[in-house]
Amino acid sequence: MKNRYKPIKYIKRVAFSNKLDSIISLTIISFGLVFLISLVKWVIFSANWNVVRLNLPLFFFGSFPNDQLWRPGLWISLFAILSFTTLWGPPWSWLRKNLPLLWVSFAPIGVFLLAGGCGLSPVESRNWGGLTLTILLTSCSAIISLPLGIALALGRQSALPVVKKLSSIYIDTMRSVPLIAVLFFGQLLIPLFLPVGLEINRVCRAIIAFTLFVSAYIAEDVRGGLQSIPRTQQEAGEVLGLHPFQITYLIILPQALRIALPSLTNQAVGLLQNTSLMAILGLVELLGIGRSILANPEFIGRYIEVYIWLAAIYWVICTVMALIARHLEQQMSLEKKDL
Amino acid sequence: MKISYKATTQILIALIVISIICILINNLTVNLIKTGLGFSFGWLFRPASFALAEHPLPYSPSDSYAWALFIGWLNSLKVIFYSLLLATLIGTCVGLFRVGKNVLLRLVSAGYIAIIRQTPLLLQLMFWYFVAILGIKGTIASPIGSVLSISNQGINLLGIKLSAEFTSLLLGLSVFTSAYIAEVVRGGINSVDKGQWESFRSLGLKDSTGLYKIIIPQALPAILPGLTSQYLNLAKNSTLAIAVGYSDIYAINDTIINQTGRPIEGFIILLLSFLFLNLIISNGMEYLNTAIIRSSNPY
Repeated sequence: MKNRYKPIKYIKRVAFSNKLDSIISLTIISFGLVFLISLVKWVIFSANWNVVRLNLPLFFFGSFPNDQLWRPGLWISLFAILSFTTLWGPPWSWLRKNLPLLWVSFAPIGVFLLAGGCGLSPVESRNWGGLTLTILLTSCSAIISLPLGIALALGRQSALPVVKKLSSIYIDTMRSVPLIAVLFFGQLLIPLFLPVGLEINRVCRAIIAFTLFVSAYIAEDVRGGLQSIPRTQQEAGEVLGLHPFQITYLIILPQALRIALPSLTNQAVGLLQNTSLMAILGLVELLGIGRSILANPEFIGRYIEVYIWLAAIYWVICTVMALIARHLEQQMSLEKKDL
Repeated sequence: MKISYKATTQILIALIVISIICILINNLTVNLIKTGLGFSFGWLFRPASFALAEHPLPYSPSDSYAWALFIGWLNSLKVIFYSLLLATLIGTCVGLFRVGKNVLLRLVSAGYIAIIRQTPLLLQLMFWYFVAILGIKGTIASPIGSVLSISNQGINLLGIKLSAEFTSLLLGLSVFTSAYIAEVVRGGINSVDKGQWESFRSLGLKDSTGLYKIIIPQALPAILPGLTSQYLNLAKNSTLAIAVGYSDIYAINDTIINQTGRPIEGFIILLLSFLFLNLIISNGMEYLNTAIIRSSNPY
């Protein structure tokens, strides 16, 4: 008898504790219902999903040659499998140990699958697009900017004034500039700084620009990790007679990276979202392909459907990455408890 | 011996950096000579000859490029300022709901934060502009006609006309930043010891009074640094104005670069204006920070 009244009591306590509370709750419930019903009605009856259904290959692979679609398809599946394996936490220790390695090799595999060579027919970078290009930009920039960011963070902590000053100037300038200016630099100005005759394609220039930008932010995250390592760790290394390089690489850095890992994953989420800026600068990544489909007279005015579809894709990927970040955080706090 | 090792390393690194810069500048000069452009800022005082839809100060196409850039800078400042206020307002409310007693409000605000933070800002801006504002059919007027009316031309609030571009940028930036501010506010309030809540409740204070008088003053030192970095992000994100056609400093710079074909000079101007903007915001927040710490801690 007692237990049957508990849920009602609970609901009363958390949502209807006084008059104002009840009014707020009732308003939310009624508005929520109206919103949900009209949303479901719109999705099923009013929306015309042809614009998404007919363009699915474009959204995922851009204008990649039709007979080679398995290549980006395989790569995106690999991305999904890797993400879910990381989240699920496989019981086999050999796989768990090699997961970081798999993530590191993910970007080179993508470049090989997309660009071709070594037995695969070459595909030019202007045919890359859609979700594939978004993930390529994200993974390549992330993998290059991580070591750069770590180097900058170490540089900023360095005892050598020249190194310290140079890294600080770089980090502070990059962090005060809007990303779109850096990307603009990548697209229009990098060609001007190259020797005559040397040309880099647009995707590469975008990756360079993202790397320049993101490494400054990664540097600050890593610095946060470095600063939280107690000084005694350094002293312990010195007492053991280790070389300063050994102390940094074997003792300080692994611990600092471990602490910085959640914020680094958030950086990756931000990077993925920011690759959409390339739509303004003329690459047809996920948002860019959406824009060019909307410019097609056949699908004119189908803004809501396309934007909601794109938002759903971005949301799913970013949420999975955020979940991975939280997962790593929990795992680390557990490991700390074990100590 | 140790000192000389350090000195050599530093000299070596400095030399490498300097030589890289020299190579880049050399390439640049060669390329600029090849294209016949050279490097000068003389064009700044030639007439801009493009129209601007929005200008807080008088502007006509016969005015100089420099004046057009200044107008763009003012436009940026305007949208940053108002988004900053609106984002703080929404963000504080959502953040307070997030830690409040009402479970439904908590759920709704958690959903809001999850949706806004996990989708790209640029997509949200396009949604606000192409769907929310340009998609309006006819005019939606408030019951008292002259107070507020919304149409696909923008918003008319108490006789002040806000353009469709400004409105969508304002809403997009504010909503996006508010989700981050909400998390900052939540973190700040959670950082206050639970005992503080219990003690003011046992003194017979109402929750609202206690929140305002006891909790928020203690949470502010934890909130302000996070808030500053969100404001700086907002200022940087305002450059996405170009996607909705609002003429901010970046959009005008882009037009000018296309007209004059001088990307290097335009880029330098852009960098300088942003360094200046960042200085304003971080100094303003620093001032606010010291003022608040002084007022909350009179001893």
